[in-house]
Amino acid sequence: MPLGLQAPPSLGVPGKKRWAMVIDLRRCIGCMACVCADKAEYDVPLGVWRTIVKVKDTGQFPNTKRHFMPRLCNHCDNPPCVRNCPTEATYKHEDGFVLQRYERCIACRTCIAACPYNARHVLPKNRDRVKIGGVVDKCTFCNHRVEEGLLPACVQTCLGRSRIFGDLNDPNSEVSRLVARHSVVTLKPEKGTAPQVYYIRPDRVNTEQIRSQPVSYAAKSDAAAFYRHNRGSKFFSGVL
Amino acid sequence: MFEYSEFNIAPWGWEIAVYFFLIGTAGMTFVYAAAPAVFGNIFGGIARSMEPFQRVGMFVALVLLLICTPLLIVDLGQPSRFLYPILHFHWTSPLSWGALFLPLFGLSILVFLFALWKDKQGWLKPIGILGMLLGLSMPLYTGLDLMVHQTRELWSNSTIPVLFVILSVSSGTALAALIQLVRGKFDDKTREFLHWFLYVSVATTFALFLGEWVTLMFGSEELQQAWAIINDQYSLQFWVLTFLVGILAPLVMVAVPKLCRSPQLITLAAVLSAVGAYNFRAVLIYAGQLTQIYY
Repeated sequence: MPLGLQAPPSLGVPGKKRWAMVIDLRRCIGCMACVCADKAEYDVPLGVWRTIVKVKDTGQFPNTKRHFMPRLCNHCDNPPCVRNCPTEATYKHEDGFVLQRYERCIACRTCIAACPYNARHVLPKNRDRVKIGGVVDKCTFCNHRVEEGLLPACVQTCLGRSRIFGDLNDPNSEVSRLVARHSVVTLKPEKGTAPQVYYIRPDRVNTEQIRSQPVSYAAKSDAAAFYRHNRGSKFFSGVL
Repeated sequence: MFEYSEFNIAPWGWEIAVYFFLIGTAGMTFVYAAAPAVFGNIFGGIARSMEPFQRVGMFVALVLLLICTPLLIVDLGQPSRFLYPILHFHWTSPLSWGALFLPLFGLSILVFLFALWKDKQGWLKPIGILGMLLGLSMPLYTGLDLMVHQTRELWSNSTIPVLFVILSVSSGTALAALIQLVRGKFDDKTREFLHWFLYVSVATTFALFLGEWVTLMFGSEELQQAWAIINDQYSLQFWVLTFLVGILAPLVMVAVPKLCRSPQLITLAAVLSAVGAYNFRAVLIYAGQLTQIYY
């Protein structure tokens, strides 16, 4: 068993659930409805995201293609963020969720540094409506909805049915059938994190480290301006 | 060409780099200050040359601790919860171990100062040994804190903790040499003692720097990207301030017999190596994170 986890990996363990997501990129149209649903569900503030759809164009006119890449926490079976958290604020649920205890988080940001998927962020310190701030936050696979028998907000709203959610340990679930029938890809499998978000037909510009680097740097300058404006009052120090 | 991406800020900024530097310096300053009590007549009694440094060294280590600990606490998003890594101890996180050892290290300094003040000679050696181990555990845990990130290839290798300890030897030597020079207590024995430590630390840093260089040049995708980032955004810090100023220049100064006989030049070499020690750490911390936000 990997060290430092509160629950052992549940993938393939009889009698246990292993919630997972399949993202069928043949069906994603880049509408960003998932991003909006997530922002609405959790009042995610400006400048940070629980999920995002990265967009990249490749090729030269007239041979071009636009690639969409929804990204979120991969709820790894061997999550490095959990192992490195000094207070066990982030922990692994026995059904596979990787969750965050806000009341215990000290926002040392070790988990952010440990995550290879850039899936974590710090909530700004002074928020207007939701009072949770100054702690690290992340996608929860909407465990509060899943435990009530509902789908995660992003899956519920996905109009192309690109995002499919279910129990990978149930052989009759849609995610199990998709993972069995398609040559699915996970992100950075070589890191040994056992990620549980499976992609169907992703492009290399979105899965490989060197190729995924932004070309335009517009996003980087936007982020730099945003943090320059908010640093100190709302956000923390860091590098871009 | 349209492109849309997200940029969550990489989490650790200058506060962490400064903290890593200062806490390592404090650890090594303790080692120098406690050396006469711990080593005594071993190695021909050369450690006794640091006897005039005992009290002032301990005091400076305490001051450094009083600067860098609040810096680390203020850097937290929830400063009032700074005791949580001890209260909710997580044994697989080096940060938890660091949070445990940090106050114990502070306590060792206070007890050592108390023993010096009350002239309790019998206490000095055991407290000195304990404090040395705790002091060196400071740079060790900061290096381990990076090393355990299996997903950050620039950090995830076993040389990082060793490198951080060695860099602390350089910066601690710089501080000790500077203080002794200013106080006019830099005699031949002190020079010989500090020169030996500085030579070993700078030569080891040089070897580890070459190791990093080769690893980065022949590395995986992520290391190639880190190499590009270092040469693009941090070329001044990496090549000039770390390699030329912080390693090569002091190495020449400590290796050439004519130069290393001068206390001023030894002190200058130590200060330059401390400049390198800070910049080497800072580049590794920053560049190691930036590969993440580009993915």
